[in-house]
Amino acid sequence: MIKNHLKIAFRNLWRHRVFSFINIMGLTVGMTACFLIFLYVRFELSYDRFHAKADRIYRIVADIKTPTETIPASGPAWPVGPHLKLDFSEVEAYTRVLPDQILFRKGDVKFQEPNAIWADSAYFSIFSYILIKGDARTALKEPFSVVLSETAAKKYFGKEDPMGKTLLMTGDAAPATITGIMQDMPNNTQVKGDVLVSMSTITAKWAQDLDNQWGNYSPWAYILLKPGINARALEKKLPAFLEKWSGKEMKQLQMFVTLKLEQLKDIYLKSTRGEAIGSKKVGNIKNVYTFSIIAAFILFIACINFINLTTARATERAKEVGIRKVAGAVKTQLARQFIGESVIICFIAFLFTLALSALLLPSFNHLAGKTISEGIFTNSSLLLLLLGAGMVIGLLAGIYPALVLSAFKPIEVLKGRFATGSKGSILRKSLVIAQFAISTALIIGTIIVYSQMSYMRNRNLGFNKDQVLVIDTDGDKNREALQQAISRLPNVRSTTLSASVPGGAYSGAYSELENIKGDLQITNLDLYFVDFNYIPLYNIQMAAGRPFSPEHKTDSSQAIILNEAAVRLLGYHTPDQAIGRRFKQWGHEGKIIGVIKDFHYKSLQQPIKPLSMRVEWPRFSLLSVKINPENVTRTISAIEKEFKTVIPNRPFSYYFLDEFFNRQYHDEERFGRLFLNFAMLAIFISCLGLLGLASYSTMQRTREIGIRKVMGASVSNIINLLSKEFLKLVVISFFIAAPVAWYFMHKWLHDFAYRTSISWWIFAAAGILALLIAILTISFQAFKAAVSNPVKALRTE
Amino acid sequence: MIKIRDLEKIYRTEEVETVALNKISIDVKEGEFVAIMGPSGCGKSTLLNILGLLDDPDNGSFLFNNIEVAHFNERKRAELRKHNIGFVFQSFNLIDELTVFENVELPLIYTGVKSGERKKRVEEVLDKMQIMHRRNHYPQQLSGGQQQRVAVARAVVNNPKLILADEPTGNLDSSNGNEVMTLLTDLNEQGTTIIMVTHSEHDARYSHRIIRMLDGQTVLENIMV
Repeated sequence: MIKNHLKIAFRNLWRHRVFSFINIMGLTVGMTACFLIFLYVRFELSYDRFHAKADRIYRIVADIKTPTETIPASGPAWPVGPHLKLDFSEVEAYTRVLPDQILFRKGDVKFQEPNAIWADSAYFSIFSYILIKGDARTALKEPFSVVLSETAAKKYFGKEDPMGKTLLMTGDAAPATITGIMQDMPNNTQVKGDVLVSMSTITAKWAQDLDNQWGNYSPWAYILLKPGINARALEKKLPAFLEKWSGKEMKQLQMFVTLKLEQLKDIYLKSTRGEAIGSKKVGNIKNVYTFSIIAAFILFIACINFINLTTARATERAKEVGIRKVAGAVKTQLARQFIGESVIICFIAFLFTLALSALLLPSFNHLAGKTISEGIFTNSSLLLLLLGAGMVIGLLAGIYPALVLSAFKPIEVLKGRFATGSKGSILRKSLVIAQFAISTALIIGTIIVYSQMSYMRNRNLGFNKDQVLVIDTDGDKNREALQQAISRLPNVRSTTLSASVPGGAYSGAYSELENIKGDLQITNLDLYFVDFNYIPLYNIQMAAGRPFSPEHKTDSSQAIILNEAAVRLLGYHTPDQAIGRRFKQWGHEGKIIGVIKDFHYKSLQQPIKPLSMRVEWPRFSLLSVKINPENVTRTISAIEKEFKTVIPNRPFSYYFLDEFFNRQYHDEERFGRLFLNFAMLAIFISCLGLLGLASYSTMQRTREIGIRKVMGASVSNIINLLSKEFLKLVVISFFIAAPVAWYFMHKWLHDFAYRTSISWWIFAAAGILALLIAILTISFQAFKAAVSNPVKALRTE
Repeated sequence: MIKIRDLEKIYRTEEVETVALNKISIDVKEGEFVAIMGPSGCGKSTLLNILGLLDDPDNGSFLFNNIEVAHFNERKRAELRKHNIGFVFQSFNLIDELTVFENVELPLIYTGVKSGERKKRVEEVLDKMQIMHRRNHYPQQLSGGQQQRVAVARAVVNNPKLILADEPTGNLDSSNGNEVMTLLTDLNEQGTTIIMVTHSEHDARYSHRIIRMLDGQTVLENIMV
């Protein structure tokens, strides 16, 4: 019997090649999209789950409550890690992790290593990174110990064995010893480093007292709990712990800290902290949900095609059903036959999906911005899963058509007294509506994502980021000499030294400022260290007072400039009221000399926070150079020449500020691109289905069309007749899609502090687009039917 | 073999109620060849469908081989049908996607006959119907007469006790029609009961008895001599 069914199935597929093609193609595209999204989601969910002790590893984070706000810090004070280990037997080990850029030199080879990490000695006993050479327990123990990844080892030492060799570290050229080689860290780890340096180096060389500075926040800190320890129970003991070690200090600074434990596995996707230190990889659980839903939708659309085309063709199979029933088949046997057929179709689609996925994976990796998978054929369990999923889809999509087909009454169908039931066509229509509703909603979503991106790129940021080149001197002692040298170059309009540039890292400073009542108010302010030329170079506007000036001697030590947000925080009604008021900050005190207008020094996802600016020469490390738009390459090479003369020990690296600022939107751009691609796929699959249905419906109405033409209907009458039925569905689907899309996109936009409005034209455009695509799809079939010879149509009866 | 009493079948739509069979009573003995005649819409086909266990009556009694089957469910009817009844239709009703051999094989598959035995029996019956040489052709490649011979072969391959023929010559020219009627007569002579619905007085003459119907009732029975 199975042989007979297989035979029928394949002959049917071949006889109705167009339908088979549409069916299989729709399923293949749908399954491929789903599979790729599945790989992406799986990768996102896999972050840091490979650590053998992942269940017991926690990140310590801190909520710092100041009189004005609560700051969610991604790490605790420096001494917290070591002291937790001292005080609690539940804690097996701790490591602090500080990602950094460090200058390394070996002979003439010098690199500003972008993926360097400072880490405590227990790093390798907590995390499961694999040490190929060296002792995991001691590799990061002594000061000036360095562990290299295989990639880094090759970079610095080529074929040499680096163990025990020396690299010169930082601008001071401190010699450091290679104590270990590790396998390259996998891609799905949050803090990926190529060069690890022992944390004890910092305490030995730069900050002996660091492990006692309870007010100094900076690194990430992880603890490994002993087996069976409840993290929440430990968390409850932490307030007493903090009170014991830093209670007095907290009161004095008016900064009250609550420590919390975040499970390692949840940090990447779920933690909202971590952007402050410039952490490299922060995932977004919302994106994972969004794409999972899109995948489900695409699969749903593909299944709808399948169901629609199969039930639409039911009339053709009806005779076969009748004959088989007369020959003795019962309903279940027939249902099994038809389900079997859909499983076969899904199996064929599965084979195509494999090929297509393998083909598309590299570009999908590129699109997703990361290597989510090296290949699909390396993992047999993945293939089995896909196969299983394909079969289940076949079963599910096959059940309804099978039930419809197998329920036909033999006498009726054999007598030809069989009409396509209105019930079936209502179902088909609702399914088409569902398809187009999803597609239209995705179109609306895509347009909104893109208009938000364009809004972010084009919004007036309150400063000028064009034609500004930023050179990282890494705080080299010759930076001022470099500034003077570069200022003299032709095509350089002006220069400024600072610690921060818009879109980049900045300090958060404990500050006391005189408020409107005349009291010194404790607050945490973002802090930019800038020289006299910064405000004019970036064209930041003054709201009151004056910018820093070399003519005022006190500007270098006793002056502060605030932005409008800071002035509002202090209760002043106009910026002018703040001029001349007192401030204390990081050991300096003096007067507020000016108020700048708010400018976007962070991405537009975030609101403009209170910001302060001070002049403090030792803090400067970045040199911003405003250049003329002409001869940019020549200007850059002239700048590079100066750099190599003045600061020969460091590699020359620079970036354009506009690109640097816009890189904050890479994630959104990637999201938008993925969204766009999948929306197009959904529409494509929906159209395939519509094409199939339209051609089928046209075929069924051949006789009707013939009669109408004989009665005098014109070609446009016929096209109108055939298209109207489907276009009605598309219009209905629009009215379902629009409010749903509005709701979700409204929520999506809420993540942006500054956002575009959802205007009516977006919906109009999406609706018209969906309608146009549908018209194009249908009218081809309709036209073909309309111009055919009516005599031929009537003769087929 | 068949004994029906006061059989009723009523088709209802929302507005119209059509009585297809109106308390009809008929007996058919084993080995008989009965023709049913009457104008279009008199209920012949409805009767045939009920006799063939494809449809169930609304009222009345239907004894098939002394078993009351009037209210059998679909599964039980299918079981009884596939072992006892063969069908021949006016429009042949062969499956286009299957070859001659595979079409004839179909009933054997559903009665669970083993593949070797199936081959033997299908070839036997194809041989008898003289279409063995066409066994690997598809229905569209055959003439109407040949297609109906395949349909008859399919109807008899399971050795049913009863063959129901619904205007078996309706789509055939007279020579092909005669050929099919001869086939049916031969089968009847070998002991198979045949009930045939027809419009053709010529075909009816091959039968032993003609039941004439009008408006869902029998009006006359002619015994052929």
